[in-house]
Amino acid sequence: MTMLQTAIPSAVPRRARKHRPAAAIGRLGLYGFLVLAALFFAIPLIIMVSTSLKTVEEIRTGSIFMLPQALDFSAWAKAWSSACIGRQCEGIRGGLWNSILIMVPSTALSVLISALNGYALSLWRIRHAGLLLSALMVGAFIPYQVMIYPLVRMSSTIGIYGSIPAVVLVHVLFGLPILTLIFRNFYSALPEELIKAARVDGAGFFRIFFRIVLPMSTNVIIVALILSVTGVWNDYLLSLIFAGRENLPMTVELASLVSTRIGVPEYNVNMAATIITALPPLLLYLFSGRYFVRGITAGAVKG
Amino acid sequence: MIGVQIESLSRHFGALPVLRDISMEVQPGEFTVLLGPSGCGKSTLLASIAGLDDLQGGRILFDSADVSDLEPAERNIGMVFQSYALYPTMTVRQNLSFGLEVAKTSKADIQERVTWAAQLLQIEPLLDRKPSQLSGGQRQRVAIGRALVRKTNLFLFDEPLSNLDAKLRTEMRVEIKELHRRLGATFIYVTHDQVEAMTLATRIAIMQGGRIEQYATPEDVYERPASLFVASFIGAPPMNLLPATLKQTSHGVVAFTGDHTVSLKGYPFKIAPADGQPIVIGIRPENILIDGNVAPTLRAEVVVVEPLGADTLVWVDCAANRMAVRTHPKEAKGLSGSIGLSFKVENLSIFSKDSGLRL
Ligand SMILES: Nc1ncnc2c1ncn2[C@@H]1O[C@H](COP(=O)(O)OP(=O)(O)OP(=O)(O)O)[C@@H](O)[C@H]1O
Ligand SMILES: [Mg+2]
Repeated sequence: MTMLQTAIPSAVPRRARKHRPAAAIGRLGLYGFLVLAALFFAIPLIIMVSTSLKTVEEIRTGSIFMLPQALDFSAWAKAWSSACIGRQCEGIRGGLWNSILIMVPSTALSVLISALNGYALSLWRIRHAGLLLSALMVGAFIPYQVMIYPLVRMSSTIGIYGSIPAVVLVHVLFGLPILTLIFRNFYSALPEELIKAARVDGAGFFRIFFRIVLPMSTNVIIVALILSVTGVWNDYLLSLIFAGRENLPMTVELASLVSTRIGVPEYNVNMAATIITALPPLLLYLFSGRYFVRGITAGAVKG
Repeated sequence: MIGVQIESLSRHFGALPVLRDISMEVQPGEFTVLLGPSGCGKSTLLASIAGLDDLQGGRILFDSADVSDLEPAERNIGMVFQSYALYPTMTVRQNLSFGLEVAKTSKADIQERVTWAAQLLQIEPLLDRKPSQLSGGQRQRVAIGRALVRKTNLFLFDEPLSNLDAKLRTEMRVEIKELHRRLGATFIYVTHDQVEAMTLATRIAIMQGGRIEQYATPEDVYERPASLFVASFIGAPPMNLLPATLKQTSHGVVAFTGDHTVSLKGYPFKIAPADGQPIVIGIRPENILIDGNVAPTLRAEVVVVEPLGADTLVWVDCAANRMAVRTHPKEAKGLSGSIGLSFKVENLSIFSKDSGLRL
């Protein structure tokens, strides 16, 4: 695809444009701005990586912008397996497993349920669908701090407070409104006759969803997954409140790690731990950015 | 073969009535065409027969069994949609077999039905392609194929040819007619193309504003339109319409239009005409003769002569009414100025001006 696109323009000989100095200056300014903008976002990351590779001594004596003298991965190893969080010195690897245990069911459930919701709201004649949708919108925009206390009471009433199911449930609840909206907009662009044809073929609500609608949803599912994964992974507050002491995810562990002080502050270890924590969503964006853009625009054009 | 009876069906979306008290009966093996302008409720009527929507009144019977409360699948119909509505992520083969799978048909049976339909429609080479890899005409065939594989004797088509180009449409029209003959099944077919309706139908139901204006054979609809709407909807150019007033005289019934007098002696009035009643006289362009006689029925001024090849249309003005006359190209040569026109009473259609109905 990309090869073709780049090959075609060069195959057509373009008429040499008269060189105009004003245009060249404009172009220079444009690139200058882009480079600056890129640097603005890249510099913190660069500093984090370079600091994580320095020794404590180097950090104390040198400038923050200096590059490390040697590649020293010991801070990464320490952050992973032996840095102290409070009184326990086992690194943040335990948090990784907890994060995964929380993320996988949370994202899977919220994407599946939102897809079903969006499908029901847009492709079936649901009574008061408009009202339901507005209620969802309200749900999407109420600051969630408001709902925390009632949720704590409710989850402790049903006896799951302070456990993985509790935090998963809360994540699913808070994820539903916006994800449902995304799915609904995507599905309302599908032709209604498709559902009618499937009904004539004898398929019911769920069969139509799983056999016909879901297979058409790859792009939007990827968008929803990215939103959901990053949201759940980066969450701090909800996990801290609902997950319970045993199940704290990486973000919470990281915060404790950074605030645990034993002797000299080990900035290199802190930086390494932060990068490790931020790595999963970063990789996700890197590998699925293309789908993300495609899914968002597909929804935008059709919806 | 299945007969379909529709009894005083009504259907509305919110406060908007879309079908008003529709009753009609489709005989087993018939090819009924629902014809009408856009938005008149054709698709809604078809969807009601298929059971896709709830009714607000009336009943639908298949072979005198009430199916009003049955789901589409339970009614056992084959349906072809205007947009084809093929399942985009499935191959053609999967598209055809989906309904059979849902109905828990055995693998061997599915294979046999799919092969049969694919052969009939000549889509065997396409079976492993996705719908996006097909041309419009091929998608059309697959959509028909999906309806055919179900073991049924009632097929519903919603404007299946409207997305095709003119040439392909003509070809597919012939194929659909041939299909009807071979299957011997009952077809109900929606279109807003009157050529399609006239060529395919055994009977045409002409709809307007949620009502059926006339349900009759193509000949009847063309020659004896039941209302002014049908008269002006069918035919290209449509029937010429002349407003007139009825008079009972000693020579029988006559009509005055402008300063002309037209004798209606011998016209088979269905309802006894009243003296002084305002009427509209309808006459097809091909039923008007250009008359060199000294005493023609009407005199008119030639406006334009349009040669169409096989015949020629002469547009004339007669007492402030524009009329079309279809004639032989030889006869139309050099026509201009004032000409005489005549016609036979049995070729006329007379409508009440007030009700718009045929008298
Ligand atoms: N879901 C709906 N909600 C509200 N009104 C509708 C709905 N579907 C159809 N209508 C209205 O019902 C009327 C009849 O629609 P229908 O689709 O039956 O027309 P049609 O005769 O098939 O027209 P066309 O030839 O354009 O397909 C239209 O006026 C349309 O606006
Ligand atoms: Mg329609």
